[in-house]
Amino acid sequence: MAQTDTITASGSSSAGEEVLSIQQRRWRKFRSFKRGYYSMLVLLSTYVISLFLPLLVNNRALMVHYNGRTYFPAIRDLLDLPIVGQLGGTPFISGEELGQIGNKSECNYRALKRQYEEEKKGNYVVMPLYSFGPIEDISVEGNEPFMPPLARTQFGELRLFGTDDRGRDVFARMAYGFQISFSFALLVASLSYLIGVPLGALMGYYGRWFDLLMQRLMEIWGSLPFLFLIIIVVSIVRPSFFVLVLLLVIFSWLGIAQQMRAQFYREKTRDYTAAAISIGVPTRKILLKHILPNSLVPIITFFPFAIVGDIGALVSLDFLGFGLAPPTPSWGEMVSIGMENLTSGYWWLVLVPLGALFVTLMLVVFIGEAVREAFDPKTFSRLR
Amino acid sequence: MVEYFIRRILLTIPTFIGSTFVVFLVVQLAPGGPLEQQIQALKRGGETAGAGLVGEQALPKDAIEELKRFYGFDKPIWQRYLIWLGVLKRESKSYRIMPGKPRLVGENERLVLVSVGNTFELRNANDPSRQVGDWKWRQEQDEETGQVRYRVYREERSGILTGDFGRSYRFRKPVMELIAERLPVSIQFGIISFVLSYAISIYLGVQKALRHNTPFDFATSSAVFITYSIPGWAIGAVLLVLLATDRFLPIFPLGGFENPLYAEMNLLEKIWDRAYHFVLPTIAYTAGSFAVLTMLMKNSLLDTLSSDYIRTAFAKGIREQRVIWLHAMRNSIIPIAANIGYVIGVFFAGSYLIERVFDIQGIGQLSFEALVARDYPIVFAFTVISVVVTLVGSILSDLALAVIDPRIRFK
Repeated sequence: MAQTDTITASGSSSAGEEVLSIQQRRWRKFRSFKRGYYSMLVLLSTYVISLFLPLLVNNRALMVHYNGRTYFPAIRDLLDLPIVGQLGGTPFISGEELGQIGNKSECNYRALKRQYEEEKKGNYVVMPLYSFGPIEDISVEGNEPFMPPLARTQFGELRLFGTDDRGRDVFARMAYGFQISFSFALLVASLSYLIGVPLGALMGYYGRWFDLLMQRLMEIWGSLPFLFLIIIVVSIVRPSFFVLVLLLVIFSWLGIAQQMRAQFYREKTRDYTAAAISIGVPTRKILLKHILPNSLVPIITFFPFAIVGDIGALVSLDFLGFGLAPPTPSWGEMVSIGMENLTSGYWWLVLVPLGALFVTLMLVVFIGEAVREAFDPKTFSRLR
Repeated sequence: MVEYFIRRILLTIPTFIGSTFVVFLVVQLAPGGPLEQQIQALKRGGETAGAGLVGEQALPKDAIEELKRFYGFDKPIWQRYLIWLGVLKRESKSYRIMPGKPRLVGENERLVLVSVGNTFELRNANDPSRQVGDWKWRQEQDEETGQVRYRVYREERSGILTGDFGRSYRFRKPVMELIAERLPVSIQFGIISFVLSYAISIYLGVQKALRHNTPFDFATSSAVFITYSIPGWAIGAVLLVLLATDRFLPIFPLGGFENPLYAEMNLLEKIWDRAYHFVLPTIAYTAGSFAVLTMLMKNSLLDTLSSDYIRTAFAKGIREQRVIWLHAMRNSIIPIAANIGYVIGVFFAGSYLIERVFDIQGIGQLSFEALVARDYPIVFAFTVISVVVTLVGSILSDLALAVIDPRIRFK
């Protein structure tokens, strides 16, 4: 049983000093894997920061002061971000309202900043750290298609990773792509756990006809060509963020349920369960308090790899053009543009998003390794 | 044991029916199917060709009905499914007929519907004394006008169960022929990546087990898991940009399966050309397949190495290499061999994503394009193949396990 013979077996030195709960010991062990621990810190802080991307990377100004009135155009995007896919759909402030004569469409804040600086009337614009948005394309002055990395626009603004075929900023799209991919994976993985864990637990514990029926259902489900079905559904329903999440959950809860089923199946035959039953502990309590904590280890250690799989699935679907609806910034779509222009030498369109993908997946894998080690009570011994 | 496998085989039947029916349902009920596409195409054709075929607004109802009949949409979905399976008969030929007027239904074969009392009888128009064969007739009513019409038809039973996968809508060729054309590409990649992934994984797993908790172990673990987590096509795309485009190091071809002049090469050149085209796609195919096998091998060997009989073997003074490869490996390889049944999948290996990145005309491309174009016969053929491969693969794996390990008893 995982609870008794754990890691302290080797560390007799710490035995007398303090008594640690199993969770504390796992946490300590996890932290001792520096690579995984720091990967987690980096990844989590990057993700938290990415939730505030509209204030950091945006073509809309943080603050505009015009004729005594103050506007905060970027704030609206911030509120918009959790409903990903809505990006860019917020009501905008027209250029005329802020003094861009003749511009009835959305205000060009970079141009506005230059205009105010020239006019010297006390109006001012505060731009985000990186003043290009993920959606704005060639229709905005100064945006050229296929600008190489580190190129500058005619106004001297730096394009960190260049632009794509429609003049959209690759760095901005990469950054927003990270936020979307990671949110997507977190949602899909959490939801599949939410469905898979209870269903698998019930299957394993109750067995019999329920188990048999579910097993057949799962076998059918498992043999379905998953990509096929997603593509069919996506070609009918416009792929909004949540539709896509739902689609992936439908297919990924299965693996979790199977794991849980096996665990519960095994644990229910253990003595401690029999003991609990015989002293009349209610079934609900046996399931939740007794068996569940003993069954969670394999699927907890699997969680980072579920995230990895979901990010990969989203990128692959986007690459095929069956993922999130354009113009949502997504890594897969960026790569597909890059691959179409492969011979033209626009290498950054492929390497930037895939580089971001590799680094993200690598960090998650490092975390996953550390989690696995931290939860693994096994120590191997051999003679030589 | 035999009983167990018989039960397993019987249990595949409901699974097969279940999963093919789900796919059938989803694919056929999805809007934008071949019928709609065909109607759209005809409408567009009518518009561009002027007064050629059809007027610009609606197609004649007859034409739509004929199309419906061609695609089988004149029947409810469960009947369509059973026809596709080959349980129900399908109308292989069907013609409109007017009572009393002969109708040509084949080479030199004319049928006529003759009124006999208050019903009709189908006769051979050329020679009334001859039989009409398996032709039948029926009466049908136009839904709107209520007009009574007649139709002669012939039925046959052919479907998946009789080995008939139908004809592709787009290529107008039997599906099996189309798949067979693409098969060589897939088989070559399938076998190469299968052999490579097993060979490398087993060797790496053993080395990792022997050097458990060493820097080598940690480094290879990370490498293996990272390549596992990155989609194969993404690895392929990066390799392609770095090793095939002019910008960096153009040492490999930009894609394709073989040189256009492949047919004219001599054997040595052919081998060289094939290898040259194969390197990058093969990496993309195999990169992700090491993790599971390697870790399985490593953990299994570690388990075995800590068992008593290995200790005994060492104690007797047997050389380490011999203990590992002859004593320990025998037991450790079993979990690896447990998946061997899925080897049948190598014949249909082919990821559309990787084929798209490398511009290879393989099985993946065929199935993906069929899906997008709603070429149902091809889509269903691939569904059947993938379902059968998974089901048979798992049975074969269990069978292999039972053969390899005499301790295993299925019940």
